[in-house]
Amino acid sequence: MKGDRLYAVLFLAPAFLIAGMFLYYPFFENLLQSFYKTDGFFNSTFIGFDNYIRLFSDETARVATLNSLELIVYVTIFQVGFALVLAIMVDAIRRGAGFFRTAFFFPIVISGAAIGLMFTLIYNYRNGLLNEILVSLGLERVLWLTEQSSLYMVAIPTVWNYVGFYFVILLTAIQKIPNDFYEAAKLEGITGPQKMFKLTIPLILSDLKTCIVLAITGTLKIFELVYIITRGGPGDSSEVLGTYMYQKAFEDTAMGYGATIAVLIVVLGLLLAFITNKLLKRDEVTY
Amino acid sequence: MKKFFLILALLVMSLVLIACGGTDSDSSGDNTSDDNDKEEGTKTEEVELRVVTTMAGTDPAGEVFQAVLDDFQEENNHITIVNDSQSADAGTIRTKINTDFSSGNEPDLMFYFNTVDAEGIIDEGKVVSLEDAEGVDLSGFNSMLEQQRNDDGNIYAAPQSGFYEAIFVNTALFEEHGVALPATWEEYEAAIKAFAETDIIPVAASTEDSYYVVEHYALAAGGMEDYKKDISDKPASWAEALDLIGEHAGLGAFPQDAATIDLAMAQDMFKREQAAMIFEGSWFWGQLEEAGLGDKVTVLPMPIKADPSETGSIVGGASQAWFISTKSYENEDTRDAVVKLFNYITSEETILRIAEATGQPPAKGELTDLPAHIKAGHDLVTNAPAVELPINDRIYPESFTHARTNVPAIVFGEKTGQQVLDEAAELAE
Repeated sequence: MKGDRLYAVLFLAPAFLIAGMFLYYPFFENLLQSFYKTDGFFNSTFIGFDNYIRLFSDETARVATLNSLELIVYVTIFQVGFALVLAIMVDAIRRGAGFFRTAFFFPIVISGAAIGLMFTLIYNYRNGLLNEILVSLGLERVLWLTEQSSLYMVAIPTVWNYVGFYFVILLTAIQKIPNDFYEAAKLEGITGPQKMFKLTIPLILSDLKTCIVLAITGTLKIFELVYIITRGGPGDSSEVLGTYMYQKAFEDTAMGYGATIAVLIVVLGLLLAFITNKLLKRDEVTY
Repeated sequence: MKKFFLILALLVMSLVLIACGGTDSDSSGDNTSDDNDKEEGTKTEEVELRVVTTMAGTDPAGEVFQAVLDDFQEENNHITIVNDSQSADAGTIRTKINTDFSSGNEPDLMFYFNTVDAEGIIDEGKVVSLEDAEGVDLSGFNSMLEQQRNDDGNIYAAPQSGFYEAIFVNTALFEEHGVALPATWEEYEAAIKAFAETDIIPVAASTEDSYYVVEHYALAAGGMEDYKKDISDKPASWAEALDLIGEHAGLGAFPQDAATIDLAMAQDMFKREQAAMIFEGSWFWGQLEEAGLGDKVTVLPMPIKADPSETGSIVGGASQAWFISTKSYENEDTRDAVVKLFNYITSEETILRIAEATGQPPAKGELTDLPAHIKAGHDLVTNAPAVELPINDRIYPESFTHARTNVPAIVFGEKTGQQVLDEAAELAE
């Protein structure tokens, strides 16, 4: 046993070393920078909590936080929801399951930047796909990205991009459920919806919880789709924390303030993951 | 426990062997080099120089610059140049340069923005004062060299070529719709109104990426005297300029989706001849020629609303220039090579060779046999009563970004120009 522990330490050491170097050390540095007014390179002045005070009075940061939270709601409901429905449907069919599995998983292998560009070209007012279709049907062009709609329009590709990821997790979880459960339930006269709500979902609840936590924390990190499709606009209407942090840190070279926004993203992520775990806390089902 | 130490000892031994292997291979490399030198009968040592520029990506100068470096290396066999150039898009070059300099990995020679972007590098003494550097040849430059003089009185960078920003006008569309070219503010507004009634967008612009729009409207609203002011002065004309953008947006001057498109998409509209005007810089000619629009387009200065007699003043200058890093200059092994390369790159022959590819006004000599549209741009600079660098080259970046990204808010009537200007000035404080 002692020997096993040594091997465990030895094999884990590289992972700890790499995580320490590339994750924990940069995070500590980031935390440190949030107390400075700095461009990250040559000019650096210690300003204590000034960046945090600024963050709480920054209207754009407030809008970006609310937008991020709103996006989390859409993404969690639709990404995980669609993934669950698709997984149950694919599990139920006898032929073509392989095809659907590949088709639904496919968007995940396309880079976010490519999807962003594709949707930019779809939404474009003058030369976009949607408006070209409308014009060819003799209809007027529609401005798809407005202050009211931009966040929804960004949510669509975000959901589409990652739905396959959760679909695969949930499908694997469903396929792990022993068939005996369903056979016994069938003898009891269970109906289709009852099978889904009283058997399948309760039995994969721990996997669903994982998916929800991943969807929440993943959405907080969203950047490229928003940056490419709307650039956070019009105005601040689709600004999210990721794009605002990028703007401050790299476009404005206000690295200290950018670091403060990054701390907010981490704190929010941890807080939401904690709350989700608490809310969905339930005895694990083992079978 | 014994097993653990055994594995640890094996690991350490492997690392030592790898390290020794590396040394052996290096030393054998050195020997070969020495042998070659002996064979050639020279005592010149091999030198490697790293050069960082923005002449890469879609920049038409990229190919020519590489050819210049190849020619230099052919003439100087002992010097190897690593061309570490990358596109200037999205400000990533700034991050790269700052990271390189702050981590002690500075390039020997760099072609970078001699603006507010280089302030930190200059203040830290990371680049040499060219007038004090032995062997550096600064002769033959035109007035663009003097524009590089720093507030401390030294010249840290030598220019290669200048640029100008202006209204790029599709003359064919103006002719087709019977609209007068915008030589005055009234004609500019008339052109906006006339094109707004057609399917042609008057001005291809992004109000989010509104760098050139903000600069030109500031110049128009206050003339050159106000344009040169600092944001801390909160010039009333800058606030008026922002309001004028909002007013013109209301007239239909910009694309419907101006608040979400970027500069590239605005350029695309102009290149597809869906827009009559665009605010751009002289670097845009490369794209226009590629799109086959060179002959249909001409450049005009922004009409000055404040004082029409000032029309002709333009935004331009030479904001990018060649720097020699102090680290390279103070290293005896690289000093001669870096000075030699600097003099080669800033020679009249090389400057003209690169300028021919870009069509930019050169910092030495003069380009001949220019196409009419390129010459029109050069004449714009020659005849300009005043030329001043873009606003964002000299003010605190966060302030300019705030003003630029708040243009959509002004267009939507959520903020006034004065409000945005006050907020931007506050950030600079």
